[in-house]
Amino acid sequence: MNHSIRAALAACAALAWGAPSIAPAKPIAFANGTTVMTEYGAGTMLEGQAFYAPYYWLSIGGGHVRFDSDLDKSHLEITYVRANYLAKRWNLPSAQANVFVWGGLGSAEGNTFGGARLARNAGVQLDYETRRIYASMKSDLWETREFSQRVDTLQLGFAPYAHDYSTLATWFVIQARDYSSRIRHGVEWAALIRLFKGGAWLDAGLTADGKPQVMAMFNF
Amino acid sequence: MKIIQAIFAALALSVAATSSAATIEMDVNGLVCAFCAQGIEKKLRAYPATADVVVSLEARLVAVSTKEGEDIADDELKRALTDAGYTVKGIRRADESLDAVRARLKEGSH
Repeated sequence: MNHSIRAALAACAALAWGAPSIAPAKPIAFANGTTVMTEYGAGTMLEGQAFYAPYYWLSIGGGHVRFDSDLDKSHLEITYVRANYLAKRWNLPSAQANVFVWGGLGSAEGNTFGGARLARNAGVQLDYETRRIYASMKSDLWETREFSQRVDTLQLGFAPYAHDYSTLATWFVIQARDYSSRIRHGVEWAALIRLFKGGAWLDAGLTADGKPQVMAMFNF
Repeated sequence: MKIIQAIFAALALSVAATSSAATIEMDVNGLVCAFCAQGIEKKLRAYPATADVVVSLEARLVAVSTKEGEDIADDELKRALTDAGYTVKGIRRADESLDAVRARLKEGSH
């Protein structure tokens, strides 16, 4: 496999598992809850996911994602299953902190290689949240026989007012992302506005180079 | 005659006791987002005895009212919130209705 193909595959993998980090702030919404999510990421990604959480500390599900590389005309599609596990939670009087880990398997197909590839995913997320401040760090690893790619994402959010259950929550989120290979030089920055009320959630924003990112999620 | 009156009085008290609904308030740690409230509300509404549920992120409070003549034990409620992923710091039986609790929360006096 030549270098450009490897780079394209790595780019797709990075997009696959990096861009969704603007999606659910937590990989598990609540016990006995179902989460469906769809996302459009900067013209390079389109994804759908569905997860069910039998417990507050576990969710299982899957999704399908398509990526179109910014670097060339290559594209990649992955159908995957995944489990998210809440390793640790701290419930404080006015805050909550969590450590999540996850793992999954998928089938990857693209126009830069023949047939399907078995793909493996693993990740970890640490987050801290009050009703006015949100911070998360996430590291996501995605591997096949051809490539190994890690994406590290930091999100810092600020709410201009403290929402309650019956009111609309509004957040302003700054995101910084670093890729472990040569997908991109330097850190990619994005600014997002996050709105949610009840079980409905919307993220919308722009990357530093002006590309839109939109995500909608519903919990029930 | 006095014995009959006493029996009727006891019966009346018994009926009054079993027909009253309960309002239970819980102080909860970790309530920071609407999804927290949504999960807790869903869990508590699943009880057949539940009449209504109020969750206040501002007051860090979860309140549940039961149907007439029914009750949910404190331990059961604590377990429900623990199973939902939250920490119950206090639980008490309130003398007021859930509507009164809701009004009190709206006024901002927890």
